[in-house]
Amino acid sequence: MNRSLVILLGTLALAMVVFGGSYAMSRHVGERCLTQPGNDLAWLRQEFHLNDAEMARVQKLHEGYLPQCAAMCQKIAAKKMEVEVALNGTTSVNPIAKQKLAELSALRAQCQAQMLQHFTEVSQTMPPEQGRRYLAEMQRLTLGLHEQTEQSMSGSMGHEHHQP
Amino acid sequence: MKEDLNPTDAKLGMLLRAARVSPALPPRFQENVWRRIEDAEAPVPSASGLSWLDALAALVLRPRFALATVTLLIVAGALLGVRDGGQIARQDAQARYLAVVAPDSLR
Repeated sequence: MNRSLVILLGTLALAMVVFGGSYAMSRHVGERCLTQPGNDLAWLRQEFHLNDAEMARVQKLHEGYLPQCAAMCQKIAAKKMEVEVALNGTTSVNPIAKQKLAELSALRAQCQAQMLQHFTEVSQTMPPEQGRRYLAEMQRLTLGLHEQTEQSMSGSMGHEHHQP
Repeated sequence: MKEDLNPTDAKLGMLLRAARVSPALPPRFQENVWRRIEDAEAPVPSASGLSWLDALAALVLRPRFALATVTLLIVAGALLGVRDGGQIARQDAQARYLAVVAPDSLR
């Protein structure tokens, strides 16, 4: 093989190694430096530029919300078990299973409403612009996935809901 | 005696030429000569490519150029790495917050 070609290929390989090594090391260091393990609210402070007073208010709301959320999650888990029991061994959706599913949906809706209420309260502790951004972001993250799923399902099934 | 060895003597010259032994030509001598002439005159297609590669190879081997390139690569890699690392950390923090306030069954 031509000597110049060998030199150029070797240089290219070396350049890739140098760039890749620098990138990988910096990414690892950057990730480690900016991660705050054990602090669930770190994202709020970083993303919405909250000061200590605002963070203290958010922290208080957060601590008040967590037990409510946990209780609701337990209720939902128990209701899911009831649905599974009602569906167990049957080949059709019986009236009891339908009732349990409706109750599960109601619990989820209640939990969702409670969650959105919490987001609203948190947004009110922030500066107005940041609060609006937080609320929009949380609604997008928590409710947007349902919309995407519904849209993809309606698209794939060929359904279209036309307004009269 | 010296008068007898006159170089302009025509008879002597003819005798000398007749006495010179000319070696036999190798087989297909003429054909090979023409082929070599044609090869020498034909343009070499990769000649310009080779010179371009040579010039580039010479450039990358220059210490100043090599140092500048390595520095640039390290700085570019570091900047991109820090940016991506920050983005990953941000996404992790967001996922952690969401996991606490919005259970999976609601999303």
